[in-house]
Amino acid sequence: MPTDTKRVRGPEVSQSPSLFDCRPSVVPPSHGARADGRQRDQVDVRPVFVRCGLVSQAKGSAYIEAGDTKLLCSVYGPRETERKDETDMKCGRLTTDMRFAPFSCPERGSWIQGSQDKNFSLMLQESLQPALCLHKYPRSQIEVNVMVLENSGSVQAHAITCASLALADAGIEMYDLVLGCSIRQDGSSYVVDPTYSEESNWSSSEHQGGLTVAFLPSLNQVSGLQSDGEMAEETLTAGIRTCIEGCYKLYPVIQQALVKAVRRAQPPPPES
Amino acid sequence: MATVKVSEAEKVYILHGIRDDLRVDGRSCEDYRHMEVETDVVSNTDGSARVSLGHTAVLVGIKAEIGKPRPLVPDEGYLEFFVDCSANATPEFEGRGGEELGIELSNTLYRVFNNKNSIDLKGLCISAGEHCWVLYVDVLLLQCDGNLYDAISVAIKAALFNTKIPRVHMSSDDEGGKEVELSDDPFDCVRLSVENVPCIVTLCKVGHRHVVDATLQEKACSVASLIIAVTHRGTVTCVKKVGGGSLDPESIFEMTEAGKRVGKALHAPLMKLLQQEESLGKKREKVGFLG
Repeated sequence: MPTDTKRVRGPEVSQSPSLFDCRPSVVPPSHGARADGRQRDQVDVRPVFVRCGLVSQAKGSAYIEAGDTKLLCSVYGPRETERKDETDMKCGRLTTDMRFAPFSCPERGSWIQGSQDKNFSLMLQESLQPALCLHKYPRSQIEVNVMVLENSGSVQAHAITCASLALADAGIEMYDLVLGCSIRQDGSSYVVDPTYSEESNWSSSEHQGGLTVAFLPSLNQVSGLQSDGEMAEETLTAGIRTCIEGCYKLYPVIQQALVKAVRRAQPPPPES
Repeated sequence: MATVKVSEAEKVYILHGIRDDLRVDGRSCEDYRHMEVETDVVSNTDGSARVSLGHTAVLVGIKAEIGKPRPLVPDEGYLEFFVDCSANATPEFEGRGGEELGIELSNTLYRVFNNKNSIDLKGLCISAGEHCWVLYVDVLLLQCDGNLYDAISVAIKAALFNTKIPRVHMSSDDEGGKEVELSDDPFDCVRLSVENVPCIVTLCKVGHRHVVDATLQEKACSVASLIIAVTHRGTVTCVKKVGGGSLDPESIFEMTEAGKRVGKALHAPLMKLLQQEESLGKKREKVGFLG
């Protein structure tokens, strides 16, 4: 290709201009109320909006919105396993796929699934599997697809909740719902259900990190647990307890959404 | 992962043994198998270590290269992890078979090192926004006999201890151009402080108890395990539940406490051993891979 000498050619790799922003980034205050008016050090989760059965082609689907975090999940199956060599005669298989839309984060992502997405998918699978009666679906597979439309923090936790709701909507037999909750520890205080800016702005203090818990509320079992950063063991155990409390707060909302979906699918018999 | 078939009778035998704090190989629940650590095993790397834990063997090589700092953190260098599951370990890893496990392991390593204290990343920066050291940590699994996480983390700590980064300094000429200058003396190297590098402890829930350093047979009896990365001060840099089962909150608290205790106790002997090996210098008897 002949080079155009009259033009100044741009660099081959490009980055988002926000990275070169010279203004000091707004560090969220480590005390007092949070940017969205919620309380610190309290189990103050964002109000959620959930709805089942939006994708008509899927066996079951769910949509969840918490603040600006928006996720869509659809469930296909149970159907015959695609990979014949992995057919299990006794137990069904659960496959999960979690993807971020390229425009979901402040920086543009690619359509190709990165290793980070695989990490999310794996945790989703390990968190959902204990709740499913997979032995009732021998030789078949159940597919769970999660699409993150907008990432405004705590994506993993809400993806778990959304996926379990979609599985229930699909009529897959389950022992329990799975609820997710995450917290961000910052020094001695913590924030529940952090937003994107609370998640990504690290102040300089020690003992800080993130924690995500997946919880089965009526069986009282933790099916998923993941943390990073640096925390003392006592902080960690307190964090797990806080997350469990956060899950219980979410429980009635999810139950109600399910009941509503069932009612809509089967309208009450006309009174005669 | 290499799989073993365990019959129901064997499972009951292992389970009852663990209940009475006596495992098949004679260990108690919080004991490690025999561990061997050797550093400086590959001459082409900047730092390397070989660790064998029971029949699990891991080789870690670290190469330091000059790269460009990440735009979000212009004044820090960074680490890259890559785990390769060699088909030598098990035929299932042939071709792309080991890829999934490799990604899972390397993602966990990124998580474990995702904090400010593990490694002095600011010390890896040569000139802010332009040049920094990138440490490529390549992990090779040579044999799998359970407890990969613990063996890998010990090997990485040993290899980082062994890493020698050439000393460089920035020089600028009259026109304001900058150049990276390498020291003339090849022995003029920078060493990393590995004091805060965490070690991973994997606790396997078997029956109502949990065991440290599970063999493949013991792993087959458990549905869920918890991995905990602990520093020498006892702070936790990562916890993660692995496996398809779920855990009771109370048992998670018990397991983190046990993991902290075991992990804290692992650091002191390891550091002592590494320093001892270092002090021997050239007189050290090399063991290599067939030892």
